[in-house]
Amino acid sequence: MSAPAQAPTVGPSVHPSREKPRPSMREQWWVLTVRFIAPTLRNGELITAIGASVAFTVGFYIPFSTPWSHYVGGASSGVSSNLGQYITPLITLQAVAFAAISSAFRAATDSLHGVNRRFRSMPISPLTPVLARVSASVYRCCVGLAVSVICGYAIGFRFHRGALCIAGFCVLVIVIGAVLSFGADLIGTATRNPEAMLPLLTMPILIFGLLSVGIQPLKMFPHWIQPVVRNQPISQFSVALRALAGDTTRTAVPLTWPVVAPTLAWLLGFTVVLVPASIIVLSRRP
Amino acid sequence: MNPATILVTSQEAGFASVRSQHPENSVRLLVPQTLVQTKRILTRWARDLVTVMEALVLPVLLMLTLYIVLGHLIYAVTHDSALYSIVPLIALAGAISGSAFVAIDLMRECSSGLLSRLWVMPVHRASGPLSRVVAEAVRIMVTTVVMLGAGVLLGFRFREGLIASLMWLSVPLIFGMAFAALVTTVALYTAKTLVVEAVELVQLLLIFFSTGLLPLNQYPRWIQPVVAHQPVSYAIAAMRGLSAGGPVGSPMVATLLWSAGIAAACVVPIAVGYRRASTH
Repeated sequence: MSAPAQAPTVGPSVHPSREKPRPSMREQWWVLTVRFIAPTLRNGELITAIGASVAFTVGFYIPFSTPWSHYVGGASSGVSSNLGQYITPLITLQAVAFAAISSAFRAATDSLHGVNRRFRSMPISPLTPVLARVSASVYRCCVGLAVSVICGYAIGFRFHRGALCIAGFCVLVIVIGAVLSFGADLIGTATRNPEAMLPLLTMPILIFGLLSVGIQPLKMFPHWIQPVVRNQPISQFSVALRALAGDTTRTAVPLTWPVVAPTLAWLLGFTVVLVPASIIVLSRRP
Repeated sequence: MNPATILVTSQEAGFASVRSQHPENSVRLLVPQTLVQTKRILTRWARDLVTVMEALVLPVLLMLTLYIVLGHLIYAVTHDSALYSIVPLIALAGAISGSAFVAIDLMRECSSGLLSRLWVMPVHRASGPLSRVVAEAVRIMVTTVVMLGAGVLLGFRFREGLIASLMWLSVPLIFGMAFAALVTTVALYTAKTLVVEAVELVQLLLIFFSTGLLPLNQYPRWIQPVVAHQPVSYAIAAMRGLSAGGPVGSPMVATLLWSAGIAAACVVPIAVGYRRASTH
């Protein structure tokens, strides 16, 4: 047997002039993002992302279609041209929120298995793994958005305001998804409890969704809770999305500043809360 | 080293083979061992504050929400308080959503090696799965009682006497156990994330397409057969009969048949999967 070839030793002794490797954050982010996205194509998680949108569509549309025509009325009521047009913004929000909170599950798993701790000992910025998880969620949000808009078309939802507003609709949904998944990621990292994450975050989303004007007009709620229902984020988001989608009725929600401003204010507010929270959570020793 | 030296040293050290009074597969040991493991699982759950909060507070909030959003509508259709369908619905939903947690817990103990450790120890092998079943029953019971308490505060009352009330409590237990068996089966054979997400979605569909959310005649005609015959609807019908009065027999039989069917379909896969999880 011949002597094994000497492995070329790479290091300062061989190349004294070589500089310390300077890893690019963009490359690291991409590698970690692929780490989250690639398995979804194999282990069936893409199916749940698609299934969630379909489930929310049938779950919100079919049970409420008869009561809707009975108690709210059709196009003549002036609320909306049909239930599909009215409810699709909410369905989209629910689907995207469901996709976003799966970020919490991954973050908690990473935190629990010590992956985050390992990252901390490597030349990686503490924000990079978070951004990678959020990017993976944004990818899932895009899937959720696409499927729920297709499902929306099936139940009578149409865009009426042109290409710019369609783009606005999609961007707003994705931004909401990204902010939500950033928040969910922090919660997951902080609690390190993967099994609790999804039920913990799904129920509030369902509660906010049911207690919003996304599902029925404000006047159908009891008086005492109407201020909460009107001003909570999901209501404002669905009104803004409804404005971006437009409608055929004369009383369609106009795309004006007072309609969109609360949505932007909520998003800004979330960001203002999340930035210091992320500093606290991410600078803690895992 | 030859076997003889080992024999000598182990005898000197007092490691003479222990002759237990009962073999490890004796039924007499099964009961105390199951109880010990049940206690271990329940203690772990009780210390997990996030999960306890999730299992108790969030369903109550969802119950309130459904009561606010759908209370008028259901009252207008059925002329009875919506609580008689919403409280059972949420009790069942709590049982369902907890089952994902149980399955994930099992998988975590599998990957941490606890299952294999128990497998090689002189412990009755049925005590592991059995203790999970008992712990799950306790968890469902606690959840149901808390949901019932919240419902009573809102105005839910038992009108059919003590025995019917106790039977009311047993319905989520029976159904929840069957569902937990189903989820555990899926969990033993697939990826972790998939289980949690799929359970959430199935739970959502079971809730939205049940007579607990809306009366049957409020659903479009073509989907009514599905809504009427799915297990959650039967369980809710039985629970409504047991609390507010009405037919109990046939929905109760249907609930039992559904639960028994699900459980029977899952017994063998669980046994095989549990053995595989413990030995690999």
